[in-house]
Amino acid sequence: MNLIFALLVSRQYLTKEQIRESIADYRESTPAAFDRKFERDKEELRELGINVETGSIDKYFNDEPGYRIRRDEAELPDLELTREEAAVIGLATQVWEHAGLASQSTTALVKLKAIGVDVDTTVLRMAEPKLSTDEPSFDAMWEAATRRIPVTFAYARPNAEPMVRHLQPWGIVSWRDRWYVGGFDLDRQERRVFRLSRVIGDVEMTGEPGSYVIPEGVDMKEFARPLFPPAPEEAAVLHIHSGRGQSLRRLAESVTPLGNGLDEVAVRYSSPWELASEVASYGPDVVVISPPDVRSAVITRLRAAVSGSLEANA
Amino acid sequence: MSRSQQQVIRMLALVPYLQGNDGVPVNDVAAEFGVKPKVIRDDLRLLMYTGTGEYAGELIDFDLTALERDGIVHIRDAEFMTRPLRINAREGVALIVALRTLRASASGSQLTVIDSALAKVESAVGDSVSTPVDVVVDDVDRAIHGTIVHALTTGKRVAMSYATATRDVRTDRFVDPRRLFTEQGKLYLEAWCLKAEDLRFFRLDRILAAEVTTTDIEDHDASPRDLSDGFFTVGAETPYVLVDLHPRAHWLTEYYQVDLLDRNDDGVWRAKIYGADLEWLRRLVLRNAGSVTVIAPETVRSQVIDDARVALQAYDEDVVPTKE
Repeated sequence: MNLIFALLVSRQYLTKEQIRESIADYRESTPAAFDRKFERDKEELRELGINVETGSIDKYFNDEPGYRIRRDEAELPDLELTREEAAVIGLATQVWEHAGLASQSTTALVKLKAIGVDVDTTVLRMAEPKLSTDEPSFDAMWEAATRRIPVTFAYARPNAEPMVRHLQPWGIVSWRDRWYVGGFDLDRQERRVFRLSRVIGDVEMTGEPGSYVIPEGVDMKEFARPLFPPAPEEAAVLHIHSGRGQSLRRLAESVTPLGNGLDEVAVRYSSPWELASEVASYGPDVVVISPPDVRSAVITRLRAAVSGSLEANA
Repeated sequence: MSRSQQQVIRMLALVPYLQGNDGVPVNDVAAEFGVKPKVIRDDLRLLMYTGTGEYAGELIDFDLTALERDGIVHIRDAEFMTRPLRINAREGVALIVALRTLRASASGSQLTVIDSALAKVESAVGDSVSTPVDVVVDDVDRAIHGTIVHALTTGKRVAMSYATATRDVRTDRFVDPRRLFTEQGKLYLEAWCLKAEDLRFFRLDRILAAEVTTTDIEDHDASPRDLSDGFFTVGAETPYVLVDLHPRAHWLTEYYQVDLLDRNDDGVWRAKIYGADLEWLRRLVLRNAGSVTVIAPETVRSQVIDDARVALQAYDEDVVPTKE
């Protein structure tokens, strides 16, 4: 703390000796111990995001380096936040259900409060999303992705032996409360996405921060697209009993009553497999009229349900 | 980040904060910083040993009488630091990702506010920081989302039509909205349901129609449910089915509440799958028929067979595939 204050207050560079003189803990150390402590403290400041600048004290006799913290670089500028923007930032600090990240976003908010930003979250009513991180590998992957550090880890798909993988993480993405890391797979020599919950054991960092470049224009949402269901484009016609099959009716493009308590419902879908599963789950309440491949997929499922056997239903 | 680093960061933020809020109670400071009052008291004690030098006037000082007697903070001799340090890279990334998460579940004019807040935070953090982290929330109907937000903002009752998840029915009801939140990447509304006379959760993508009424929402005496363990917790009474899982269905064990009991040599796993009710579990089995087969309870087993048999009759008899 005293090192920060001393360097922050000084308009000019301080020599190492001046710094030693002004701080009791340094003064009372042996020269070797002082060197060690000074280096350690500078490194700790860097970790905190405070840059200790090195320069020469005397333009003409630049034989001794000096140290300072530049106030204009170190201090938080005015952000000129509106009431609503301040409220949004206040709400954002309630998103993380991860002790470390929650406290880091809270500290950012506290700094804003210290420059007089009035944070009243009640001026806005909006959704209160939560971000949780149950995956043991989350902290390491977060660190690696945000600081561009290559990693090595064991990865196991269900039903498969764990394999050691080497990855340059480009970014991470959360979808349905699960975290995924995407990047350049050094074994396969191509882009890959990995699910963090399938990472087994420790993630080993195998390089320095910033040791690779993330290609221009990589968008994590785009990157993770293969994980998400594609847009529903295929057409299907279903017969659904009145008041039943609600999840399918939500997707309906049209509903035509046929009498006898039956509706003809037209839906769009992307995966025949998904649609057949959904229809089968309703038992007698929903029947597929078309297309034929979904129809026969449902029949296969229903026959398997009757026989109680585990069989191929691809 | 280590504990001591967090303390240093907090103390550095305290110095300008306390100067800008002279006479603030310790308890308020603690609430603002999200820590216990004792933590703040410890911070203050340590701050008294810091300053630009070692003599009186160079060390930070507090009005100890006010602090001890009234729990009120007056800071002195700290004029050398009246502004907090910049939001650092780690704090910036945590905040930016949280803002993106808010954005993913916001609607309408809220998006504009979040975008401008994001831009200002990003500029304050500086160019050196990249935030390769994103959050995806499943899409919901924009009109319905907007209606719910409007009702929350204006404090009005909502008339809506809802498709219940477990029982396959559509119901009309009036609700007094309380809050919107996400769970497993899906948007939910917590609201007082006038029909159930209790607090209920409604998944936004299951709301089929919604309209804001002119009635003000009423105060209902009900405390929100604790969701810290998620929606669904397995207890002694929780319904379950005992099933065999073909390798194709092993993924179910990652998505649902499951006790894995046995792994056969042929790749078939025996497991208990838990669910909110037996009807939902029966539908889960039917949905995955051929990959999942139910062993017990007998009621579910026989009902699955009956359902499938009746369903197959429809394909045999009165339905002829139409030409497309």
